[in-house]
Amino acid sequence: MFVIIGLFAFLFIIGIIIYNSLIGKRNQVTNAFSAIDVMLKKRFDLIPNLVEVVKQYTNYEQSTLTKIVELRAKATSGNLTDEEKASLDTQLSSAVKGLMVTVENYPDLKANTNFLNLQTTWTESEEQIAAARRTYNSAVTDYNNAIMMFPGNMFAGMLGYTKIEVLATPEEERKNISAKELFNN
Amino acid sequence: MDSELNSKVNLQEILNTLEVDRKKISETYKTCYILFGLTLVILVIGLLIRFPALGIIGCLVPLIIGIVMYFKIDDDAKKYKADYKMNVVASALKTVNESFVFAPLSGLPEYEFVSSELFTTEPDRYKTQDLITGTTDKTSFWFAEVHAEYKTQTQTKNGTRTEWHTIFKGIIFAADFNKNFNVSTVVRPKSFGASLGAWFSKNVFSFGNTEVVQLENTDFDNKFVTYSKNQIEARYILTPAMMERILDLNKKCDETISISFIHSKMYIAFPLSQNYFEAPIHSSLLVPDLLTDDLSIVKFMHDIIHELDLNTRIWGKE
Repeated sequence: MFVIIGLFAFLFIIGIIIYNSLIGKRNQVTNAFSAIDVMLKKRFDLIPNLVEVVKQYTNYEQSTLTKIVELRAKATSGNLTDEEKASLDTQLSSAVKGLMVTVENYPDLKANTNFLNLQTTWTESEEQIAAARRTYNSAVTDYNNAIMMFPGNMFAGMLGYTKIEVLATPEEERKNISAKELFNN
Repeated sequence: MDSELNSKVNLQEILNTLEVDRKKISETYKTCYILFGLTLVILVIGLLIRFPALGIIGCLVPLIIGIVMYFKIDDDAKKYKADYKMNVVASALKTVNESFVFAPLSGLPEYEFVSSELFTTEPDRYKTQDLITGTTDKTSFWFAEVHAEYKTQTQTKNGTRTEWHTIFKGIIFAADFNKNFNVSTVVRPKSFGASLGAWFSKNVFSFGNTEVVQLENTDFDNKFVTYSKNQIEARYILTPAMMERILDLNKKCDETISISFIHSKMYIAFPLSQNYFEAPIHSSLLVPDLLTDDLSIVKFMHDIIHELDLNTRIWGKE
């Protein structure tokens, strides 16, 4: 009798541990995603300043600047799904990268302290977003492993937890940098 | 080129002078050892011929002469060692980097060793010496020899027995880090205990250490366990490129290194058994490979700045 009660108590405790562990992992995923969101917002906030500074020195990059402003407006308009936000961020990021390359043609702009500060902050935010993405992917992998492996999969079914996709590396970032392509722009 | 030649000539002159001192010290030490040996022989003969009193009185003469000579030459030896460090090592270091400053009596302060969080045990006995500071481009760095120990006390029949255990012996390298961060991130070698902690953290969330950072570089994760209170910041510091660079650095060392990023600095602990920058007593100073080991370790430390790319300052920290 005691053995059976003991066994049930043991299984009950194991159940609580697995349940709490799943909830914890799920919360970690949500938390990691909101961290990306905060960082993206921080980066979007840099854009108006960047555009202002670049505008003062260049007359020929208007189309790029307009594109960047439009993308930023879209990204901050709200009512966007996570996928849309990620895609806009990728486009924005590559547009700014293109702008940074063309800046090479404007020595005055390159020497401007404001611009240099913005460029540094931009690089910093790029790396922070990359770190946040990696944290998110790590949390997602951890969560996916937990819900797909036994005995976590039994609880996951009951809780309605399903697999979450990891964030793919943007296509542009995966490509090797081609100097030829850069100079053709 | 001229100054290099001059410094070489100067160094050779200093070595010639020191070699005279070294020979004298070495010979005196040898005489002392012979006198101590003689003491033992007289004592043993006295006991064998059953004249212990004669043995004891007879051995006192060489013993006293030996002790006096030993203490007298010990001061000379200390001066010789200090001269060697100040004149030979200090000037040889300049050949690696002009900015190097050598302070043989200084080291990494104990509070800095503790606050670096490289090791979890606080030392009960702490020795440090041979501090070298320098700058490469925008990055300032320093390193020193450290021997940190903790003690354990056990009660035995004869009283309390104290045993000393090494926490770390080797060189601790510190440099200004090129990125801003707020919390500490520590990378320690993967031991059995650390692996178990990491496993709990991964598999039994509620019981494990939530500070363990699971990184995507499997080679890195197999060699080290990373701890941080901020998962994103840890990855901001340990970028995929940085992890590769740390692995490459670790491959060059016999024992696994420990690294911490704290108070806007980076600390690396290299476990080493050899004591560097010491003057030889019983071997000549006039050999071509006299400073080879010392200079190669200094060059190794100096190259870390380039190897870990610490001079790249594009992340808002000057």
